[in-house]
Amino acid sequence: MKKWLAGFMFLGMLFAAACADSSSQEEQDSDDSSSASEATELSFIHWRGEDKEVFEDIIAQFEEENPDIDIKMNIYPSEQYQSNAQQLLRDGSTGDVFTSFPGSQFEAMKEAGLFTDLTNEDFVGNFSEGPISVGQADGKQLAIPYQLVFNMPVYNKGMFEELGLDVPKSWSQYQEMVDTLIENDIVPVAFPGADIGPNQTMNSMMMNNAKDEEVFQKLESGEESLTNDWWTNTLEDFQYFNENGYFQENALGTNQDSAMQMVANEEAAMLATGSYHMAALKELNPDLKLGLLPPITVPENEVEYEGIHTATFMLAINKNSEKKEEAKQFINFLSQPEIASQYANGTGQHLTVKDVEYESEELQNTAHWITDKKTRFQPRYLITEAAVEDAVLGSIENVLGDASPEDAAAEAQQIVEENIE
Amino acid sequence: MFIRKSAVLIYAVLILVPLLMVVLTSMKTLEQTFDNPLGIPVDGLIIDNFINIFQEQTMAGYFVNSSVVTLSSVSLTLFFAAMIAFGITRLNNWKGNVLFALFTVGMMVPPQVNMVPLYSLVLDLGLTNSLLGLILVNIASTLPVGVFILTGFMKTLPKELFEASTIDGAGNWRIFSKVVIPLSLPSLSATAIFLFVMHWNDLLFPLLFITDNAYKTLPLALLDFQGQYSTNYPMLFTGVLIASIPMVIMYIFLQRYFVAGMTSGTVKG
Amino acid sequence: MKISKAIYLFFIPGLILYSIFFLFPTVSALYYSFTDWDGISADFNYVGFANYERAVTGDSIFMKSVGNNLEFMIFVAIFQTLAALIFAIILVKNTKVNYYLRALFFFPTILSSVSVAFIWAFVYDPNLGILNQLLNLLGIGFLTQNWLGNGDIAIYSLAFTQVWFHAGQMLIIFVAGLHAIPNDLYEAAKMEGASKWQLFRKITWPLLAPSATIVIAYTTIQSFQAFDLIFALTGGGPNYSTEIISTYIYTVAFRNYDFGYASGISVIFMCIIALITYIQFKVLRSNRVSY
Repeated sequence: MKKWLAGFMFLGMLFAAACADSSSQEEQDSDDSSSASEATELSFIHWRGEDKEVFEDIIAQFEEENPDIDIKMNIYPSEQYQSNAQQLLRDGSTGDVFTSFPGSQFEAMKEAGLFTDLTNEDFVGNFSEGPISVGQADGKQLAIPYQLVFNMPVYNKGMFEELGLDVPKSWSQYQEMVDTLIENDIVPVAFPGADIGPNQTMNSMMMNNAKDEEVFQKLESGEESLTNDWWTNTLEDFQYFNENGYFQENALGTNQDSAMQMVANEEAAMLATGSYHMAALKELNPDLKLGLLPPITVPENEVEYEGIHTATFMLAINKNSEKKEEAKQFINFLSQPEIASQYANGTGQHLTVKDVEYESEELQNTAHWITDKKTRFQPRYLITEAAVEDAVLGSIENVLGDASPEDAAAEAQQIVEENIE
Repeated sequence: MFIRKSAVLIYAVLILVPLLMVVLTSMKTLEQTFDNPLGIPVDGLIIDNFINIFQEQTMAGYFVNSSVVTLSSVSLTLFFAAMIAFGITRLNNWKGNVLFALFTVGMMVPPQVNMVPLYSLVLDLGLTNSLLGLILVNIASTLPVGVFILTGFMKTLPKELFEASTIDGAGNWRIFSKVVIPLSLPSLSATAIFLFVMHWNDLLFPLLFITDNAYKTLPLALLDFQGQYSTNYPMLFTGVLIASIPMVIMYIFLQRYFVAGMTSGTVKG
Repeated sequence: MKISKAIYLFFIPGLILYSIFFLFPTVSALYYSFTDWDGISADFNYVGFANYERAVTGDSIFMKSVGNNLEFMIFVAIFQTLAALIFAIILVKNTKVNYYLRALFFFPTILSSVSVAFIWAFVYDPNLGILNQLLNLLGIGFLTQNWLGNGDIAIYSLAFTQVWFHAGQMLIIFVAGLHAIPNDLYEAAKMEGASKWQLFRKITWPLLAPSATIVIAYTTIQSFQAFDLIFALTGGGPNYSTEIISTYIYTVAFRNYDFGYASGISVIFMCIIALITYIQFKVLRSNRVSY
């Protein structure tokens, strides 16, 4: 015992010494490499763990073209990125090129002055004008969204063809469609209520109930209330879906993977998440044919918006960075159609870059949503206060947990009021 | 008798089933888990998850980080706490009592209470994303429990020991290192285990201070797996198994000390 | 006998670290609680007691998290103490089987809370979780629940996990307490024809009281610190039904960027713990603590 403890203490000291040593050595190493080989190390941070391999390949190509630049990529889980990125970027050593979510994170970063103005850069012209407006503020292009995501349910096209179902254009058609699915023992919508279900589906559920795109801005300034029709109607729709078997049982405890599995097994017809899950669904079941189908909860003549889009993964350059020129080179590289095509096809995402060639059937089949459909920007991202967003999502969870829409709305409105002054 | 036995049996099942399931699930694919969460798949078990996790993750790095942080924190906390406990015991007067109270008041304050200012302090000192920062904060947070246990123990040592050596002209340091430390070994080792388990498993401080993958410890890395693999249970459980192995091995071989150590933190020296 | 001043040198290294990384932040929590600091900006304003006022009168989530925390604590304190006590009595004899059983029951204590959270996420999963599957298998499918998704029971599901996690540790404390009771007492009482219940009531319980005090006090502190488990299992949801004080502090500070307010809640949190500890020691004062 005595020996064991002595050995243990000794090891501990050794480690402490080694650790102090190695950290100081590391600093030296990085100093050495920058001065000796003269390769500039560029830090690139983002939250897309799924895209790691594709990015590694693209970075390798970039480094081959630009031997004097060395890109160090760091990927964080999205939740963590959302809360920590601002802190990371403060001193300028991390995230020469970084990414931002639209909405509250973009606002907070703008307030903190973390963006370099990109308005006059040539590469801005490589992007479609419409979607990149999200990255503008005060007439300046502060960040450029790279990905284009459709945050609305994905549906099993093959199954619809087999059952002779059409894509519904109105609430009554939607109800008929659901009835047919239920008759055939198919869950209409697999809803991952334990994680991203509420924050994704709230967008398409509310799009025609709250046509005012500034409704959340007004909510945060106190002009609007969650107890008004636009939100109580949305909550009623959620309640209707939950109580009439539109969602699977235990919707609130189901996580993404289970919901995806239900759709891949064809137990469920739709997945209430977004276009970004189509590639993963195809991997689970390569025979699936997929499309996008938002819930239409109003009569046909009241349908103003056909879907939801989000221009996200906004590329930006850290104001505190000392390597802005190299950073611009990298963004320019990413905006080249060939590279963007590689990224789009490797990750199964639509992009905001012009002239991208989509290879997969899913990307081709849904590309018309970019051009032909009237979609609106994801309303959730227009909430700037995290506490308000939590309250809004909480009211959905509350309704799915059997509270009445009025009570849930009132409870959430109180939380909003407590947090806005 | 029957009721007792069945109660024990139920408790044992309650402990064992979730643990066995972790082992089983880590050797299945995600599809097999969805098809039949409890059963053993007909096409046999696989070890691909273990291979994948080592390929995809810098597991070895997380392991080294956890080891560095845990071993340094435990040994330094023990060392500093033993010195303080010795000082308090040696003083053996009201000043000693005041110092004892000052150091042990920290036991009453959960780390969540001061995490906000602690975070900004560590940030200002430039100690975020540094193992050294983590170690320093760890020491400060477990020093109270160390002082508490070790003082309790040293007070039970015969007073003559201290006095006799003083008359011999032995200095404090000699009494401490040659007499008190060797006599305190049972208590020191129990405390070491208690601290070891705490630091190895700690999530809060790494969560607050570490964002760079290069400095992540195992519990924080595990939490990130949840972000990356969502609820891919086979992968998550593979991570759980790998992170728990050192603790399980130590538990098997040093079980007596574990039980003594983990309870000494709550009871006495 | 005179003690050399040099003895104070023994306090120096520990005191420096302890002051910088514990005492200073704890005192600054008090300072920041009177400000509106957002955690990022260089400047902030002094706001007096506004943060405290907001917590006490104008924050329904904070009130909810205090309630949740108390519910969680009471459930854990009762069930963990009972389970530990009952199984300690059953397994008190030092036989080989009992020894292994105690080791088994103690085992969860050595796992990290993140690991425990993942294990129980799988147990409770309503679609593929083993709990619902087992209930169906046993023909009592009507008992199946949406264990973490149902806001009415989620906090109890978490409390049960906490009991699973730590009851073994408390069991060991009770076993040690039982072993400390002299056997002659039982022998003498048996000679006088005392029943088993009388033995428990008159000998075991009063003499076990010091261990019980420790178990309950420790359980309480642990319940307030269940941050890791809840953070990794539910993150406070659904609809704030598993938000406890510590997870709420984290949210306010690191998601809402309201450091000043988070500090205010921290100070209140500290007072709540001090109060509960004080009450416990008052109630259990007759039981001498054994150190």
